[in-house]
Amino acid sequence: MDSTIAQKTWELENNILAVEAPDPSSDFIFYYDEVAQAMSLKAKPWANDPHFFKRVKISALALLKMVIHARSGGTIEVMGLMIGKTDGDAIIVMDAFALPVEGTETRVNAQADAYEYMVDYSQTNKQAGRLENVVGWYHSHPGYGCWLSGIDVSTQMLNQQFQEPFLAVVIDPTRTVSSGKVDIGAFRTYPEGYKPTDDPISEYQTIPLNKIEDFGVHCKQYYALNISYFKSSLDCHLLDLLWNKYWVNTLSSSPLLGNGDYVAGQLSDLAEKLEQAENHLTHSRIGPLGTSRKKIPGRITSW
Amino acid sequence: MASSSSSGLTFKLHPLVIVNISDHYTRVKSQLNPPPLTSTSATVNGVENQQQAPRVYGCVIGVQRGRTVEIFNSFELLYDPSTHSLDRPFLKKKQELYKKVFPHFYILGWYSTGSDAQESDMHIHRALMDINESPLYVLLNPAINPTQKDLPVTIYESELHVIDGIPQLIFVRSSYTIETVEAERISVDHVAHLKPSDGGSAATQLAAHLTGIHSAIKMLNSRIRVLHHYLVGMQKGDIPCENSLLRQVSSLLRRLPAIESEKFQDDFLMEYNDTLLITYLAMFTNCSSTMNELVDKFNTAYDRHSRRGGRTAFI
Repeated sequence: MDSTIAQKTWELENNILAVEAPDPSSDFIFYYDEVAQAMSLKAKPWANDPHFFKRVKISALALLKMVIHARSGGTIEVMGLMIGKTDGDAIIVMDAFALPVEGTETRVNAQADAYEYMVDYSQTNKQAGRLENVVGWYHSHPGYGCWLSGIDVSTQMLNQQFQEPFLAVVIDPTRTVSSGKVDIGAFRTYPEGYKPTDDPISEYQTIPLNKIEDFGVHCKQYYALNISYFKSSLDCHLLDLLWNKYWVNTLSSSPLLGNGDYVAGQLSDLAEKLEQAENHLTHSRIGPLGTSRKKIPGRITSW
Repeated sequence: MASSSSSGLTFKLHPLVIVNISDHYTRVKSQLNPPPLTSTSATVNGVENQQQAPRVYGCVIGVQRGRTVEIFNSFELLYDPSTHSLDRPFLKKKQELYKKVFPHFYILGWYSTGSDAQESDMHIHRALMDINESPLYVLLNPAINPTQKDLPVTIYESELHVIDGIPQLIFVRSSYTIETVEAERISVDHVAHLKPSDGGSAATQLAAHLTGIHSAIKMLNSRIRVLHHYLVGMQKGDIPCENSLLRQVSSLLRRLPAIESEKFQDDFLMEYNDTLLITYLAMFTNCSSTMNELVDKFNTAYDRHSRRGGRTAFI
């Protein structure tokens, strides 16, 4: 049948993974093995290899909580902590909770204020049956993409020195809502002075002009990890049933109305970048021929 | 024990609460039944592989505005088996912590897992009445039943009924709707269908988005078909005429088409033009970049001319 062949080709091209029926063994990830965790904490395999952790697995609950919290902050950066465990070269994030601090870019030690909250929360959590430890922090960059700013890089480097294993996650709630897919990135910094041997080409993202310098200066000091998600069998079942009530929202949501301001902001930023590119073009024409030819393509593709 | 509620409150439940409860339950269950890979516990559990189903308890928080109760979030609580009630100091501590981060929310009730509301639950319910005079009881049934079509979540309220001459509090079932914000919907959608988020090319993302819309439209279609079928049956006389339903259907039909005014057309066309302009601009930029690359390649290919010192044509 042509249709089956076409379907199989499409599936192959797009790496569609077959969705298996939820089986209880997939819930084993929820089990917290204290002995194994204590052993790996003692062994510290990440101390020797700065590129040790390669993958992140985020639970459905953690993702939901982080995105909702990030969105509720509006245009203000918010932050919180993530709870989980490690598993070989993967960090598993089971849950997340918000911290009662309002983020401004200049507050490096915002976490100092929130330490008491964190300790209290961790203690109550352990009593309530969540035995995992804090394994990272997340914060939001509303509207300007998922990357680590200079302050973030220094905070994370400090964390990686004293609170290993630690992970930094950045969420952009504005881009999430406007593009319809979750905009999230997980990063770990390299230690001071370490030069990465291979330079992986990361996915391109547009960054507003006023932030691009901060991005450029620090973008080599950290690397991104692959993110995958997991959910329990009960979650699967509930989410399937939830879809019965959800389809109305899918049809009635209109990203155009919700994001008029954001789109306008993006356009004005684009206009500024175009103007800057044009200025550079006119200036570099005067320069020597050989170098100018190389500079121009660099300018246009630097957006 | 469950009849329909008459308090007139409308309940809105956020999906986060459902995922929260399910996660809590899964965690406790998997801690009680460790995976058979661990050597020590395998011998203890033996071959029976019986899955114990623990009951978990927790608190739901949210906002009540007038007659609408919106449940936003929830957190876990400890159950004290000796006093058959929830651990009070723990509740207070958690409440303080949550108040710092979500200052608008307050305790609306409590939740538990199980298949049906029990007598002992009333005890817990009564204990919570000093925080909130009419607390809610959210019950999640964790049994996975593939034939089930409805969410296994029920919300109970307590009402004072006179039974056999004695005023007693009993649980009454209330209906609820699922309420969501845009960000929540996207992340639930994302996790439910596990769409590729990293490195997914534009084609796969578009395909995923369109699949979502397609299934939503399919749902709408099937619902309308059911209504149509019902109405035809009523016309033929197979089903007794129900006037209230007919009135609802006619009011729905009278509302279509939804918007016809001229202002709407103007706004809509303006938005449409804006989007087209942006696409045009993007196409332009793409074209100029490709052209630039082409000129570059051309210049590199014919480089020998410039080495003699002559000017080459370049943009």
